[in-house]
Amino acid sequence: MSEFFNQYFDFHVMGEHFWEVLEAFLQNLVIFAVAAALALIWGLALALLRQLPGKKLLPIRFITVAYIDLFRAIPILIIILLISGGVPFLSFIPQSIRIPHWFGKPDPFWYGVAALVIVYGAFTAEVYRAGIEAVPGGQMEAARSLGMNHWQAMRHVIVPQALTLIPAPMLNEMISLLKDTTLISVIAFSEAVLVSREVLSERLNSSAMILTAFFFVIIILPLARVVDRLIARNQGKIARGSHIEVA
Amino acid sequence: MAETMVKLQGICKRFGSLEVLKGVDLEVGRGEVVCILGPSGSGKSTFLRCINLLEPPEDGEIFIEGNDICKGPGSGTGEQSWELNYVRQRVGIVFQQFNLFPHKTALENVTLAQERVLGRSKQEARAKATELLERVGLGDKLDQYPERLSGGQQQRVAIARALAMDPHVMLFDEVTSALDPELVKEVLDTMRELAEEGMTMIVVTHEIGFAREVADRVVFMDAGVIVEEGPPSQVLENPQQERTKQFLGLVLDR
Repeated sequence: MSEFFNQYFDFHVMGEHFWEVLEAFLQNLVIFAVAAALALIWGLALALLRQLPGKKLLPIRFITVAYIDLFRAIPILIIILLISGGVPFLSFIPQSIRIPHWFGKPDPFWYGVAALVIVYGAFTAEVYRAGIEAVPGGQMEAARSLGMNHWQAMRHVIVPQALTLIPAPMLNEMISLLKDTTLISVIAFSEAVLVSREVLSERLNSSAMILTAFFFVIIILPLARVVDRLIARNQGKIARGSHIEVA
Repeated sequence: MAETMVKLQGICKRFGSLEVLKGVDLEVGRGEVVCILGPSGSGKSTFLRCINLLEPPEDGEIFIEGNDICKGPGSGTGEQSWELNYVRQRVGIVFQQFNLFPHKTALENVTLAQERVLGRSKQEARAKATELLERVGLGDKLDQYPERLSGGQQQRVAIARALAMDPHVMLFDEVTSALDPELVKEVLDTMRELAEEGMTMIVVTHEIGFAREVADRVVFMDAGVIVEEGPPSQVLENPQQERTKQFLGLVLDR
């Protein structure tokens, strides 16, 4: 039993590598922040494209649906490897884009962010869509009857209501996104899992990895409780048949 | 009859294999109040929604103030055709389920489209909204959200919201059907005042009393056609058609 304990919970190893792992974990949080912000915007754009009215815009809707289906089906790891293993060699793309070093971050950082945004854009688009479709049809009719065009109705009537319905499922997506930042370790970006693996191979001890897991739990557990609370609040709202205003 | 405001000819509409409207004609003059009665499924609501192209008809012609909105330039009933804007700037509609914007206050419900569609300034829109909400008796509810208002109050906000766009014609789609009985009167009173002020109104309703008192003309629809029409005294008191007699018998004998 003590052998098990020493393998996974060697506080000596944890202490020695604590700051190194924490610093690497902060990189996960930075990737998350950048990817989440972009994915939330990209997903909304996709969801709105998917809701375009009329026959003429059918091709746009079709392409959007195909994108969403495709990138929800392909494992993120494959996307990361396809981008990092391919984009740098596409000589028709300017070098500053195919090997980006923006804001002092190395190219694997940006390949990872790109992969996460591409995939999580598809997932968040589905969450937005669920919210948009949950707004009663009479709302769009009322807005259009008052002379608003489709975009005005979306912007001022439909989307603000949709956003009040989706915080809980959206937060779930964000939790997944945060965890998936660890996949960028496979392209040699120094985030928490990569650093923990280095410790593992150097000391043949898993305690640094446990420390990394612990950091994720610390951040995510409270978020899970927030999700619970949001769901409870939403059920209250539905029971009262009303919505809460969004700023 | 006064100058024609709305003229519909041979309106046909089907949902899949179901033929809801089988060539309906109607002409409504300026300032006229027309009540459309009929059993559920008679097509009266669909007909009303055809007038402002919420349900574009498959066949037939619609003239609003003399302009053909179905066959003009850029014709068709698609989203891009110019008729949509033309119609919706002239025709207001009030729905059975109110459809107020729940994330906006009563005042904001009435100002939103004024600002975004008509381009009125915030102050202008606010002044107009305040005036209209006071007129429908809700001057003290400007900053309330719909969930805090009764059904009758919500429906009056919806009427004010439609009036804020300065419509030439108002459509009412069973606006009292979702209301508790004691709230029906306040909404009907508001509509009555509107009629007295000379608004052109097309009203789909089950309120026979309202039709008798306020309507200039009553139209009875069944199975996608107009069965009978005329002044309320004639259609309601002395119906000629068997179907009308049957319907009114059932409604009035309750």
